[in-house]
Amino acid sequence: MKVSKEVRDIAEEILRQGQVGGVLGLSSEHGHVGPHLFSSTDDLGTLVLEPRYMLAKVCRMILADFPGERLGVVARGCDERALIEMAKLGQVDLSRLDLIGVACSEAQARECACPHPYPRRIDVGEPVQGVAFADTECAQQASEQDLVARQAFWTHAFSRCIKCYGCRNVCPVCICAECSLEDASWVARGKISPEISFHLIRAFHVADKCVGCGACDAACPVDIPLTRLYAQMREKMKEMFGYEIGLDVTNKSPLTTTLEEAPLHGL
Amino acid sequence: MSERPFQPRIIAFCCNWCSYAGADLAGVSRLQMPSNFKVIRVMCSARVAPEWIIKALSSGVDGVMVLGCHIGDCHYISGNHRAAKRFAVLREMLGCVGINPDRLLVDWVSASEGPQFQKIVTNFVERVAVLGPGKAAGEQRAKGTSELNGLTQQAEKRE
Repeated sequence: MKVSKEVRDIAEEILRQGQVGGVLGLSSEHGHVGPHLFSSTDDLGTLVLEPRYMLAKVCRMILADFPGERLGVVARGCDERALIEMAKLGQVDLSRLDLIGVACSEAQARECACPHPYPRRIDVGEPVQGVAFADTECAQQASEQDLVARQAFWTHAFSRCIKCYGCRNVCPVCICAECSLEDASWVARGKISPEISFHLIRAFHVADKCVGCGACDAACPVDIPLTRLYAQMREKMKEMFGYEIGLDVTNKSPLTTTLEEAPLHGL
Repeated sequence: MSERPFQPRIIAFCCNWCSYAGADLAGVSRLQMPSNFKVIRVMCSARVAPEWIIKALSSGVDGVMVLGCHIGDCHYISGNHRAAKRFAVLREMLGCVGINPDRLLVDWVSASEGPQFQKIVTNFVERVAVLGPGKAAGEQRAKGTSELNGLTQQAEKRE
């Protein structure tokens, strides 16, 4: 593929210059794709871009394991937003990262209903227009359904949950060492499907952080359309506070600031 | 004998510095108000975690009140600012999953506002009584009301 060839070339260049200690990307070996730290130019041949996999959590782990080392990361728009949100939470140091920005194709953007299918600096690919929230299936559903219909829809969806914690484990912004979802006070142990509190607590915790990468949807074995709920919350954050998630590392979440710093309409 | 009207179960989280004192004043002033709420005293309205409210609503409480100091009067300067924003977002989220956001009330009562406390509680209890029992998602389905079953089938079809 042409795009992954261009990414390989950039990775090779920054590795050769000694600008970074390694480049984090996806590697395809024996037909399986997984995250890989490319530390020499020799193995760059296996670098691929598909399928999509969020590298932010792996990135945090590597930065912590190699203090003082710089790291190159192959980053799509969602990867970059996730890293920015992680930086806000003090989990990664952006100044130690060199992002190789990859813009997603129009088909990919449509598949994810991604509002921002490109990083701030694009090294590879051409930026395409993002999908506006109003044009998504999720917005349509939200405006059509009343409370009773929504409750029926979500009760049915949540009743499928097998509490595998896949959504939390894969989520790039779910980084708490102690998770509320493992606390028996909030989520009863040994009960499947879990109470609705399992999903609501998670939804609230990511309401001001969710970057819309869709990793939770992809990870869910019973197809709970979690991103539909999170996308609505993201839109509400925009409506209520004018807050856009993952775009600016200096822009703190309005839920952590005072009313002077980020006013709430009607107060 | 006529059937007793629905009595909602309500939890009121009151901050230690203003609204708990306000509730106390309402009590010692012998102001009349419905008795179907329980007060839980917290140090600040910002101490109330969304988990508490979600857990309460999903385990059979019909309504939750979070009462704090008036904006600008918070004992911890800006605790109620955070509470105001957090619970505004939580209300939106409840709406998104089909739980009536009116089951959650955020309001401010100062230590000298006994009558205000009485008014807020009375109005809220009336409001929740109108909404009816609210075991969030699950209970109503178990009851098997035909309307809900129909909608669930529709949702299944859509998938």
